[in-house]
Amino acid sequence: MQALQTLTWNDTWYLAPEIVLAAFTIALALLDLSLPRRIDRDIIGWGAVLGLVTAGVFVGWHIHDLGAWEKAGESPFRNLLDGSYRVDDFGNLLKLVFLGASALIVLASLGTVKKEEVPIKGEFYYLVLPAVLGAMVMASSGDLITLFIGMELLGIASYILVGVRKSSGLSGEAAFKYVVTGGTASAFVLYGMSFLYGATGSTRLSGIAQSIGDAVEGSKALVYVAFFLMIVGFALKLALAPFHAWAPDVYQGAPTPVTSFLGVVAKAAAFAMLYRLFVNTALYAYADTAQVREDLFLALAVLAAAAMIVGVAGALRQQNAKRLLALSGVANAGILLVPLTLDITSFHSSLFSEFIYYLLAYVFMNVGAFAVLTVVSRETGSEELSGFAGLYHRAPWTAAAMTALICSLAGLPVTGGFFGKLFILFGTVQTKQYWLAAILLFTTVVSYYLYFSFIRQMFMRSGDTERQTKVPMATGLVVWICAIASVALGVLPKPILEWVDGLFSVSLDFLSR
Amino acid sequence: MDITFAQYAWFAPLFPLAAFAILTAMGRGLGRAGAWVATAASLLSFLLSLLIAIERLGGTAEDYTGRIEWLRAGSIMLHAGYEVTNLTSLMLVIVTFVALLVNLYSIGYMKDDERISVFFGYVALFTASMLGLVLADNLLTLYICWELVGVCSFLLIGFWFRKPEARAAAKKAFIVTRIGDLGLLLAILLLYWNMPNHALDFTSLYNVFHSQSDTLSASLTTLIALLIFLGAVGKSGQFPLHVWLPDAMEGPTPISALIHAATMVAAGVYLVVRTFDIFEASQAALAAVAIVGAFTAIFAAVIGLAQNDIKRVLAYSTVSQLGYMMLALGAGSTAAATFHLFTHAFFKALLFLAAGSVIHAIHTQDIREMGGLGRRMKITAWTFGIGALALSGIPPFSGFWSKDAVLAAALDESPWLFAVGVVAAFFTALYMARLFFLVFFGAPRGDAKAYAHAKKSPAVMTVPLVILAVLALLAGFVETPWNEWLGSWLSGEEEEGGINGLVVIASVGASLLGLYLGWLFYGRRSSSGNPAAEKASGLRRILERKFYVDELYELAFVRPLAALGRGLDAFDRVVVDGAVRLAGRSVQAAGKLNTRLLNGQIQAYALCALLGAVLLILAIAGRRFW
Repeated sequence: MQALQTLTWNDTWYLAPEIVLAAFTIALALLDLSLPRRIDRDIIGWGAVLGLVTAGVFVGWHIHDLGAWEKAGESPFRNLLDGSYRVDDFGNLLKLVFLGASALIVLASLGTVKKEEVPIKGEFYYLVLPAVLGAMVMASSGDLITLFIGMELLGIASYILVGVRKSSGLSGEAAFKYVVTGGTASAFVLYGMSFLYGATGSTRLSGIAQSIGDAVEGSKALVYVAFFLMIVGFALKLALAPFHAWAPDVYQGAPTPVTSFLGVVAKAAAFAMLYRLFVNTALYAYADTAQVREDLFLALAVLAAAAMIVGVAGALRQQNAKRLLALSGVANAGILLVPLTLDITSFHSSLFSEFIYYLLAYVFMNVGAFAVLTVVSRETGSEELSGFAGLYHRAPWTAAAMTALICSLAGLPVTGGFFGKLFILFGTVQTKQYWLAAILLFTTVVSYYLYFSFIRQMFMRSGDTERQTKVPMATGLVVWICAIASVALGVLPKPILEWVDGLFSVSLDFLSR
Repeated sequence: MDITFAQYAWFAPLFPLAAFAILTAMGRGLGRAGAWVATAASLLSFLLSLLIAIERLGGTAEDYTGRIEWLRAGSIMLHAGYEVTNLTSLMLVIVTFVALLVNLYSIGYMKDDERISVFFGYVALFTASMLGLVLADNLLTLYICWELVGVCSFLLIGFWFRKPEARAAAKKAFIVTRIGDLGLLLAILLLYWNMPNHALDFTSLYNVFHSQSDTLSASLTTLIALLIFLGAVGKSGQFPLHVWLPDAMEGPTPISALIHAATMVAAGVYLVVRTFDIFEASQAALAAVAIVGAFTAIFAAVIGLAQNDIKRVLAYSTVSQLGYMMLALGAGSTAAATFHLFTHAFFKALLFLAAGSVIHAIHTQDIREMGGLGRRMKITAWTFGIGALALSGIPPFSGFWSKDAVLAAALDESPWLFAVGVVAAFFTALYMARLFFLVFFGAPRGDAKAYAHAKKSPAVMTVPLVILAVLALLAGFVETPWNEWLGSWLSGEEEEGGINGLVVIASVGASLLGLYLGWLFYGRRSSSGNPAAEKASGLRRILERKFYVDELYELAFVRPLAALGRGLDAFDRVVVDGAVRLAGRSVQAAGKLNTRLLNGQIQAYALCALLGAVLLILAIAGRRFW
């Protein structure tokens, strides 16, 4: 047993983004308490955006520093707290995604959240920050315990966010279901982690990596149980089929910005954790573990395939836009899982770029689509698909932006969604997982039908009213950022891929200690 | 020499593209102002092109290539780029200049159309795509723009979509040119597979095909050249894919001038010039180009004799003149072809715009109902006359010099080609004389009321006519037998001048004879004679039916294809649709099952998850123990 290494003064610099978020949370909570009632809480929302952006700037700074170290021949990562927390390019990239997506979501919700619906608007805004903090901890952990703490921080903050529409019965039901499911998932993950600790004698990922070969030799069953329990937990968190049943209910009940947060940030964080667990533990480094590895990745691939099929099939008959997007999120989680499941032995180095590229495309198309949904539901008072009817006549610009977002969701050229799916498809073919490629193609084609129901409503149906829809400025801005980014990703896929490839390397980010 | 403007060449297509975006986005809100937006954009492009051309006139400017890597996926790498050479800068000037004048002219011509902003949007999109085509530094970019101009052509031919003829013509143009496009696509694919490094840019093509290395076998080279030529045949209306071009005259007349006379149809010629290195490597391909070109030149000229629609006469004339350009290419002279393309752009745009001015005035296109318009529309008549003389190849008009160059090149290659060219020149002069005298001379034959109302066209329409007339008169002097400036500028090599008396005498003689006969038949008699009295002889009927090519196509392709189509349709409905319906139903059924599972009970969800987990573990881990 090593002596515990405590936080040093030097370390705080590496933790700057996390510290900024924590500080902003406290400051905004105090501000919310001390401000008189009559002052609109949107100011807290702007504060939250500022906090997220500030943290993002620090992350960017770290990325730059790490790059400079790498050039200078130093190892481009830092282990803090005896390796239980690590600052590396993998974590930093994902943190940028979390922060950017959250900033867009909060920005989009400014002006669209009604006081009658959310009486505690202040809390609504500043609770996003600890949730993102949790996600960031998950992305940066080097230890099972830190991972779990990050997951719980994210989870508990989001349980509250889901239930924030206090007067709505749906919201309460959603929050309850989310707490139960989230708790179950945490239990599965924790149970699995404890088995892993039992088998390897370490909670540190690097420690696990060192002794997992022996552990497999010693008690293979234990390792199987550990990983399968964790897989089930994550599948619940990620809403992969058949663990997805809660998702439509929770997404529907939650306020739309929170739905967007659950669909994008919470999912991305779970993926970050999966990568840490499955790649950092170096499961593939030993000949002994080949069989276990093969089985586990096959299980993940089966889950990905099931999610793609069930998500698309379930969404086909949905009339509620939020439930539809929730099930589309199930299918997309399946797609995002595919790169991780690809054969790691013949490691094709673009694995992570494929993932992060599609994740980026997914962030933009989802945040944008949900922002449009906020505008529409605010105007028509309904979250049904039919609320989009005749949007082209009421708000032609928003309809145009939504069309770009839908094209990205459906995976039509030239959008980020198209290239994202294409790169993942290339990956499956390269590693000869033809059955996954076939399922990816088939579900993509079927999904055209469901995404085009939006287009059909917007352009070919007439709405009840011809009155121009009012789009709040901040929301409109987010819609356009997302639409333009979705197209830009498709027009210029190369710079982004190269940037990610340049930053990330498996050996440095996951294997070096 | 410094390269200043050439690096910004990519702005040239961006201006009209921006105009297209603005017009599409703001559309009806802009109303007539939209026309000026498009015109301003084309003016900017023209000024930029002019600056680029002037910069290159200095003579020593290096070719400039700008390129970005567009996409790399594994070993597949695609570039997008542009290249400024003397040839492309010349084409830039032609395209932007004609586009500018046509925009200006259309402000007058289209002013009563309620979809005027849509019209100008399409024109702007076309201009942008055409400039992209001209600037492209590789075949893929060129192909994308090639398809885009095809789409614009389709949209503009069918612009008056309420007319069934316009719809049919648009469809025909699209389908017929697609046959050619398929050839081009196959050629690009063949090149992609066989070129070193999958390179598709023109510089690499030059290096590979010029070095006489055996990278590609001779038969493959011929195949590729012929496939590229098939694309050119479709786009440039060469026999046997010429049938769409006369029908395309259903579109608004300014479009006929811009797309179907001066620019897009010349894209085929431009394509062959751009890829000429491939053609030079294959004698057979060159011979095919020459023969198709010569045949088209005379074939279309003869048909032009018997058409009664002013625009269709001009359309067949365009087909015939494009045939001349192909003939020059087949004879190995890109300079002559480019030169003829250059002068033809001006005088044919002029003729179309003048014809449009006539149509605008009396609202008919049938020359049998015209006559005597020269007295009412002086500017139109004069400028049309200049265009007609230029087209007929009378010195010193521009068409004389370029046709002379084409015929000289043909004579170098083979006396037969030369003879065909001279005979075609005779027919050209004859049908132009017929057209001119029937329209502008004699007594009015049509509706007297329409004639009385015929008034001069507004200045926005006549000014472009005058500018084009001046150019139709003077543009030929850039390359004369004494001073082959254009040719040397394009090729970068000094070319020796020299006058071939035989060529000049034969071509001018043929043209003068044609004009004289035309005057004899239609000019002198026209005061009393009625063109309807022209005897409907058997030959005439054949000409009027355009050698029955359309009917032949109907019999040979359309009907069998329709029958095949019906058969395939049945197959499609029973077998393919059945499969699709089955897939659809099963997905729907899965969806139903899913909805039933999502009944809102969280206990059910948990059960579902638990069952899933157990199944997963049993299936994956369990398979090891069986």
